[in-house]
Amino acid sequence: MLVLFFAQLKDVTGCDAVEFAPPSPLNREQLWTMLLEKFPGLRDHRRNIRLTCNWEYAEANAQFTNTDEVALIPPVSGG
Amino acid sequence: MEIEVQLTGSPIAEKVSPPRLAVHGAWLEFRGAVRDEEKGEKISGLEYEAYPEMAVREIRRILELLAIKHDCLAARVIHRVGIIPVGEAAIYVGIASRHRAEGIVLLGEFMNQLKQGVPIWKRRTLPLGARPASGGGQRTGRPTLKSLDEALAEIQSHCQPLPAVCAPLAEAFGRVLRETVCAPEDFPSVDRSTRDGYAIRADDASETYSVVDTLHAVDWKPRHLKPGEAVRVATGASLPCENLRVVMQENVERTGDQIRIIRHASATNISFRGEDLRAGGPLLHTGTKLDAGALAILATVGHVNPLVSPRFRVLHFTTGDEIVPPDQTPKPGQIRDSNSILIRGLLQNFPCDVEQAHLPEDFEKAKAECGMRKAEIRNADMILVSGGASVGEKDFTRPLLESLGFGIVFSQINLRPGRPLIFGVNGGASGPASRLVSSLAPPNKIQVAFGLPGNPLSHFVCFHFAVAAALAHLIGGEAPKYLRGKLAEKLDDQPCPRETLWPAKLEIGPDGVARLHPLAWANSGNVACLASANALVRVPANIGPLEQFAAVDFLPTNC
Repeated sequence: MLVLFFAQLKDVTGCDAVEFAPPSPLNREQLWTMLLEKFPGLRDHRRNIRLTCNWEYAEANAQFTNTDEVALIPPVSGG
Repeated sequence: MEIEVQLTGSPIAEKVSPPRLAVHGAWLEFRGAVRDEEKGEKISGLEYEAYPEMAVREIRRILELLAIKHDCLAARVIHRVGIIPVGEAAIYVGIASRHRAEGIVLLGEFMNQLKQGVPIWKRRTLPLGARPASGGGQRTGRPTLKSLDEALAEIQSHCQPLPAVCAPLAEAFGRVLRETVCAPEDFPSVDRSTRDGYAIRADDASETYSVVDTLHAVDWKPRHLKPGEAVRVATGASLPCENLRVVMQENVERTGDQIRIIRHASATNISFRGEDLRAGGPLLHTGTKLDAGALAILATVGHVNPLVSPRFRVLHFTTGDEIVPPDQTPKPGQIRDSNSILIRGLLQNFPCDVEQAHLPEDFEKAKAECGMRKAEIRNADMILVSGGASVGEKDFTRPLLESLGFGIVFSQINLRPGRPLIFGVNGGASGPASRLVSSLAPPNKIQVAFGLPGNPLSHFVCFHFAVAAALAHLIGGEAPKYLRGKLAEKLDDQPCPRETLWPAKLEIGPDGVARLHPLAWANSGNVACLASANALVRVPANIGPLEQFAAVDFLPTNC
């Protein structure tokens, strides 16, 4: 599972991507637990972060699997 | 609605042409430019960042949904990323519709939704006085990832050829010749007949000839021929002297020991001494990969123990508790191990011995397992580790390699798929390992290691572009070369800030031009395309889509 960070979240994590290999699919809460364990600094940003899975915003009941590309999307400011 | 979306690192053109639709009453254009102040501060520019794959999809999705409500004909959206100086456009939107009203509404709603959900960010401001770089690529301020070319240069500089050895011809196939072999004598060493017939003097215009001897292929009977004399010769026979010609037996009438030429022809029918190879001339140059033909030449000249690259040893570790052997049925959350056979198969093209083993996912246990395999690790010229190549909690390849004495040269590259590729070196003047007590490598030996991202497609890509190059340098051969071809179909992908090696099916067209059919893949977990991929198309960063017939560089993967 490739997890990508964008914009200010790259400054928080110090990298723009990590790869995880969870043994089984994760729900939203389990994914956050894994992320926060690795990057506690994300905790302050969590409520403003939207999760995506394979280039689409993830549904509330989404399952994230080993082969997914997941991204943490902070508030956007394009245009 | 016809939709075109583009992310670009370059300035948006002053004039963007509307789509060529037969009927549209209104063509509406909007450009959003960078203002000269941000949060009350005067600035000279803004840096934009995007999640390109998703941004393009999201823009398209928004437009498709809006088109259901507002009947428009076409939309073109261009968003610039990277550094954009004040006054230049960050976004361009063009809408074609039958009437202005629906176009104006759609444009307004689109811009509102873009600002809410499309993953593009104003990353940072450039204060007044800062000089924005012209062209403005993606800049993040982080240490930049190694590009493909930079990674290859690092690999080349650390992979010195292994010491050469002498090997018998039967064991030399696929190895790289490490000496230039010259012809020890002329080939052929004497004039030889290329026909069954009669050898006569080249200057002899007699009507009839006496047959004074018969020569078979094995015979060697030098003699001078007088005018009017002929020698019966078989194909391949050594001629008795020089300055002869051979008359084909079909052109001769023979009565007893007399022949008469009944048809005259100009051909000499002789393979002349030294015609094939001249004594002292180079036959095979150093660096030649010995194939069947090259080995046949070495056999011809009796060079039976050539100096060649050694057979080298590769130690391949798989990692991850989620993988099970291919003959087992995976439980939920598990997958079959396809990387072991993939790596073994890819290494078949190289003269090497492969050892494979699995490492437990727990770092301490994995280190303990490596401790049990000290001899194998010490003997290996190259160590490959599948999976565990990035920085997730259980991704231990980097610390594991470091614990074995490897210095990490790079651990990420700006490539997709295959970004978390790790390359390390142990020993040698440039590696830090020689100073480390824990190094298992014998003194003066250089080992290299790759940590390959776990997905099979990433494996395939990283092997061909990086591991194969390292192997080529280690055996003193030439690294795989990118060739030029044309896309047989459109490569329909949006610009990506990473360079891409796109799996493709290579065919040679009737005109002799390499045609590449891009294969479908969405992420590095996709494996179906491996079934037919035999080439990787190199797509530069921030470029796309590539049209049909576009000229592209590609790396063949079937050799």
